Amino acid sequence: MNTKVQVLDDKILVSLSGEFDTAAAEEMEKSLQPLLDCGAKDIFIDCTELDYISSRGLRILLVFLKNAKANGSRLVLQNVNDVVRDVLELTGFVTIFEIE
Amino acid sequence: MDSSKRNRIARVGFVVLAAVLIEAISITQYQRVRSIIEEDMAVQSKVVLSAMVSDVDHMLETTEHTMNENLWIVRRYLDNPDSAFAALTYLIDDNPQVAAGFLAYVPDYFPSKGRLFEPCALRRDGAIVHSQLGGPEHDYTLSEFYQKPASELKPSWSNPYPDAPEYYANTITYSYPILDAKGRLAAVCGLDMNLSWLGDTLNSHQPYPSSFGMLLTQDGLLVAGPPESRTAPDKVEKMLEILRIGATRTEDKKLAIQTSNMLRAPYWQVVEVYSTDEAFSRILKMRRQSWLLVLIALGILFFMIERYTRGEKKLSEASAEKARLSGELEVARNIQEEMLPKVFPDNIFGTVKPALEVGGDLFDFYRRDGKLFFCIGDVSGKGVPAAMLMSVIHSLFRIVSRSEDRPSFILKTLNEQICERNSANLFVTFFVGCIDLYTSKFYFANAGHDKPFVLSESAELLPVKANLPLGVFPDTVFEEQSIMLTPGQSLFLYTDGLTEAKNKARVNFGRTRLKECIDKAIADSAAVPQTLISRVGAAVSAYSHGVTQSDDLTMLVINYAPGKILSDKITITNDLSEVRRLNEFVKGFLEQLDVPVREASHLRLALEESVVNSISYAYPKGLKGEITVYADSDFKEVRFTVVDSGVAFDPTAVLSPDTTLEANERPIGGLGILLTRKLVDSVSYCRKHGNNVLSLTKILI
Repeated sequence: MNTKVQVLDDKILVSLSGEFDTAAAEEMEKSLQPLLDCGAKDIFIDCTELDYISSRGLRILLVFLKNAKANGSRLVLQNVNDVVRDVLELTGFVTIFEIE
Repeated sequence: MDSSKRNRIARVGFVVLAAVLIEAISITQYQRVRSIIEEDMAVQSKVVLSAMVSDVDHMLETTEHTMNENLWIVRRYLDNPDSAFAALTYLIDDNPQVAAGFLAYVPDYFPSKGRLFEPCALRRDGAIVHSQLGGPEHDYTLSEFYQKPASELKPSWSNPYPDAPEYYANTITYSYPILDAKGRLAAVCGLDMNLSWLGDTLNSHQPYPSSFGMLLTQDGLLVAGPPESRTAPDKVEKMLEILRIGATRTEDKKLAIQTSNMLRAPYWQVVEVYSTDEAFSRILKMRRQSWLLVLIALGILFFMIERYTRGEKKLSEASAEKARLSGELEVARNIQEEMLPKVFPDNIFGTVKPALEVGGDLFDFYRRDGKLFFCIGDVSGKGVPAAMLMSVIHSLFRIVSRSEDRPSFILKTLNEQICERNSANLFVTFFVGCIDLYTSKFYFANAGHDKPFVLSESAELLPVKANLPLGVFPDTVFEEQSIMLTPGQSLFLYTDGLTEAKNKARVNFGRTRLKECIDKAIADSAAVPQTLISRVGAAVSAYSHGVTQSDDLTMLVINYAPGKILSDKITITNDLSEVRRLNEFVKGFLEQLDVPVREASHLRLALEESVVNSISYAYPKGLKGEITVYADSDFKEVRFTVVDSGVAFDPTAVLSPDTTLEANERPIGGLGILLTRKLVDSVSYCRKHGNNVLSLTKILI
């Protein structure tokens, strides 16, 4: 699991690659800390290379989403593949995440 | 109006119609008989009449004859007035019917005897006395009996006249003119006849009590009639009246008249009067009697029809009830058959042949999570009560075994349910088996059912404990046993209807014959489920030929043919970092099965979530443990079994989170179980030997 975070003036660009499984989620919480300090910036998460996500991964995304909403900013998931989309649909997360 | 009332009216109508018909026949016959009788009466009265006419004829003739025969004496002593008495005596003495004889001389014939001289001899009190009747007080020249022969100079009969003030004009006179030598009238000789006896004669042989005869002159004057003792005078008067107007019946048609005329002088008319009522009274009486008989007959007829229809109604009600019951039994039977498996794979076959319309036997099988669950049972008793309990047990088995893997627990639950509401005190022998198709382990528990056979080289009884049947005690313990099966082995399960089938000598088919029969099939390589069952069925039928099947006959054969199996396992510690190792293991296993990437990801996720749950919830903080994941597949289905030694934790009992909530309302946990449930086809949990055992099954293809 690799993550890249780019903090720009008006937004934060994130790209996730590999498998966002339970073990990865344990490690992710630290590397994605900037997303919690985003202020009012919108967050764009590119999922092009994200192959897999577990419920732990989803929970981390949910924490970011709740934080962003509290700050009045957006969190957008981009280029979600079928496997990840299946999980988002099965959990009902498609309705709460903004997906492009 | 209901049909029974309508039917009743129809029956009454039928009887009334019968009565009307009978009456119509009776009336027709009565009319015919009446006309026949009337004809007969007319004939009869004619006969009576002619007899009466000839009687009167005869009387007149004899009188005329007396006159003619003896007139010479009168002529001889004509001119001797004193001898006239003797001559007249002679004359009347000859004929007892003659009441008197007289000789009325023309006036002044004997100057010495005065102008009118009429010597007379008459009967009085049996003797003949003489008397001279002529005189001023009796001018015979004015009488008809004198004037008519005197003027015509030939004999004649007078009309009847009363010679005394009596009712009837009952005297007639036959007068004969006597001429002198010069041919002049000298005297008229007459013979008086009293006709009062004639009425008696006419009425002495009447055919009916109220009939009577009369004699009338041409002018309709009554000459002789019935005595008052026979007929009331006013009735006679009435008939005379009717005769005068020329009728033949009274107005009320009760009296009929027949008349006949004399063919000689004085041409009187003889009349016979008879009462038609009287003649018909006997037929009327007969008719009344026959009516009584008819009424009785109709009453009996009605009674019989009523009884018959009531019987018919009862019969039809009974047969309708029977039809309804057999229709319901048919439905019950269909329901039962619906519950029995109908589609069989190649390696399983079963049949139930109920002794009555509905039976108390059942069998079932189905596959779940790589395991084959099956059962066979026999409810004590037969017919509807047994069938109803059988249906209940069948449903319970399906429901309980859906979430419970262990045969002993399935039996325990079934037993508790049955004991709770078993007022009929029925009990059930039941065998539950579960074959793990990936491990070849055969778990089973028995509740008093016949031991199944295990078939390999030969048929051997499964070493199973009997235990008590279901429904006896609520706290019965059913021991669970297990054996390992070898691929190719078969199980033969049956109910006691098979071993207790009797031949004509009432000897049971028995387990020994059954074993021989199965062994023979094995030797013939005919132990394929369907073939084996038809062979055993045929053997039992042949054995019990001609004997009514007394119990349900049920067989179930399961051939253990697992096919190609891929199995693997991994053991990890209860640490989240171990999940990565698990994922690699799963990936590798699924690649061997050629599972597509997307499905493989789903399975991986399902398993990961389950194991993470075990790590997170089954082990309290700091407690170390191991989690083993078994992976099994027959290339059609894949099953992962997660076994951990942690505290009892049933993830399937955790409620799924609500996936429709807004982001702010969504709880952080609970998603793992939701995903697991949604990503595989079946999730089942059981606590076994102190372990949590969770099975995830996914059907491939």
